[in-house]
Amino acid sequence: MALKLFSRRKSDDQVAAKHRGRHEGPGHDPASESFQPAPFPALDNDALKRAFQQGRYCAILRDQTNLKSNPLFASVVNDVHRELEQRMALVPAGTVSIAQTLSAQPGDPEEDITVEAFLLDIYCVTNARFQHFVDACGYDMLEYWPEEIWPHLIELKDLTGQPGPRFWRQGRHDVRLANHPVVGISWYEAQAYSLWIGQRLPTEAEWQMAASWHLHSSTNLVRRFPWGDAMDKKRCNIWGSRIGGSVPVTEYPNGAAPNHVLQLVGNVWEWTDTEYTVVDGNNRAIVGEMPMHVVRGGAFDTYFDFQATSQFRTGQLALARAHNTGFRCAMNLADASWINGG
Amino acid sequence: MTTATYSPNATMPCLICEQKNTLEAIVCNTCGAPMALIQEAVTQDRDPCIITVVGDSNVGKTVYLGMLLDMLSNRADDFEAIPKGAYSVNLQHAVVSHLSMRQFPPKTATEVDDWHWAYYQIRRRKRTTNIYDLVMPDMAGEAIAAEVANPKTFKVIRSLLEKSAGAILLVDGALSAAGSPQPDFFALKLMSYLDGVIASRHEEKLTTPVAIVLSKGDYCPEVFEDPRGFAQSNLHRLWNICESRFAHYEFFATSVVGALAYGADECGNVVPFPLHIAPRGVVEPFEWVLTRLQDGRKRR
Repeated sequence: MALKLFSRRKSDDQVAAKHRGRHEGPGHDPASESFQPAPFPALDNDALKRAFQQGRYCAILRDQTNLKSNPLFASVVNDVHRELEQRMALVPAGTVSIAQTLSAQPGDPEEDITVEAFLLDIYCVTNARFQHFVDACGYDMLEYWPEEIWPHLIELKDLTGQPGPRFWRQGRHDVRLANHPVVGISWYEAQAYSLWIGQRLPTEAEWQMAASWHLHSSTNLVRRFPWGDAMDKKRCNIWGSRIGGSVPVTEYPNGAAPNHVLQLVGNVWEWTDTEYTVVDGNNRAIVGEMPMHVVRGGAFDTYFDFQATSQFRTGQLALARAHNTGFRCAMNLADASWINGG
Repeated sequence: MTTATYSPNATMPCLICEQKNTLEAIVCNTCGAPMALIQEAVTQDRDPCIITVVGDSNVGKTVYLGMLLDMLSNRADDFEAIPKGAYSVNLQHAVVSHLSMRQFPPKTATEVDDWHWAYYQIRRRKRTTNIYDLVMPDMAGEAIAAEVANPKTFKVIRSLLEKSAGAILLVDGALSAAGSPQPDFFALKLMSYLDGVIASRHEEKLTTPVAIVLSKGDYCPEVFEDPRGFAQSNLHRLWNICESRFAHYEFFATSVVGALAYGADECGNVVPFPLHIAPRGVVEPFEWVLTRLQDGRKRR
């Protein structure tokens, strides 16, 4: 199902060259006057190859019935497996304890949740990757958006009134920020993109599992940070790191989790699939003006170090399009056919 | 608060309210201003630089000021800030402690001797010559409103503004964005009051730099996109008096909280909770005022 909610102006000067993100220095103001719009990537006419170029790897795997007749199918699926192996990491099964109170003091109620093994993106979704969704008229494809958001879809526009993340212009990201995490997107936009590429957002428990690495083992080891137990501002991008803005998603390899997942702490908060519920010390609900979803990990402007840990949980209004909130995608291990030998 | 030893013969006047205090006084026993300021001014032969943060009640002055001081202490944006006396740290300590517990600090008391005063010496690390003595009290919005409505109700406020080299005026950006005329009216009154206080200097347009800061940007992120444009279209009265009476003014937007949620207190009143802290646009207005003051020094 598709509905034209926006009248689009197609550019005549679509650039044929493949779009490549440039690593610029940190701290770019995405809304600055020196905006450099990203070129239009050249996409193949063949639906299968186009889906591959758009990074919809899991969507290809899910749609095998329709795509199998394509003569290129076998080779593209091989490429998909290779790409997913490079872009996703296995998070083993484990248990996490989620604080239930606002103060999260020792002794306060916690919920223990068992997490099955799953796959998580090594990097947050970049502007360049999200551009494919915008270019494919993702904001018009209602099948990826929950019904309650349909009346608000027209409000999800960029600085120039085009559909897209809040700080983009004319439906384009700034080419200098191609490899930075996409920000200025609501939870709904993050979820719609995830579904479009055939994946999903991680749950809060999955995110915490990936960051705290609390495996089923006799050691009962829980990491406060993906790299260990002590804050190290050389391993992440928070306020105290003195960067002042987002950095490319490939930065801080020394802050990676054991499975090489990067930037779980710092750079941008990450949307999760979990609704934010929390109570005060007297078990009274703390609520937002609108429904909230859990965001995790802290961002480049997170002031308190303890708010950028693998355990700290907070929320953001699901419709908020903050300058410091992005996301990464996950998928069930059961759907990873190449790992399961399927 | 205050005098450590009574010494009837040796006194000195408070820099702010000009009431006499003993030499041993740490803070003025009338207005609570730091007495170290005048001692430093005498020993270092340097004019103190007072920057005053003003604004309506509930506009966020305490949180703004506390965060500003803490960020300066953390060497934000190349600033180095040294607190002159432990009492100077109290404000930032209180604000940071509350915010880290996901609470807002309590309202500032109206009584003058309950205000927190902060006295810092500040310099930019790359420019070692210019040192500023910053005196910034956390004044109650109700006291400011009372003084503006009935001058001389709180003489210390008038004295403070008379001696201020620059001012930071906080205006509730979220309330203004919601269409309330209250922030515009209060800002107009304050600017008019400031005009009257400093007019005794017989200047055409007032040269005192005033940074007008649209607070609570977390409620209304649009204010960050174009603070000046926002003020022009939502704060007409303030905009007009700035244009006609002030030579140096600029609009900024700020927020301290990354996300807010609401609960209830023991009495069932709705209470906001800061879920996480993400300061934005806190240092910039201060830096702008300081730059204007530096430019003024160079011209002299």
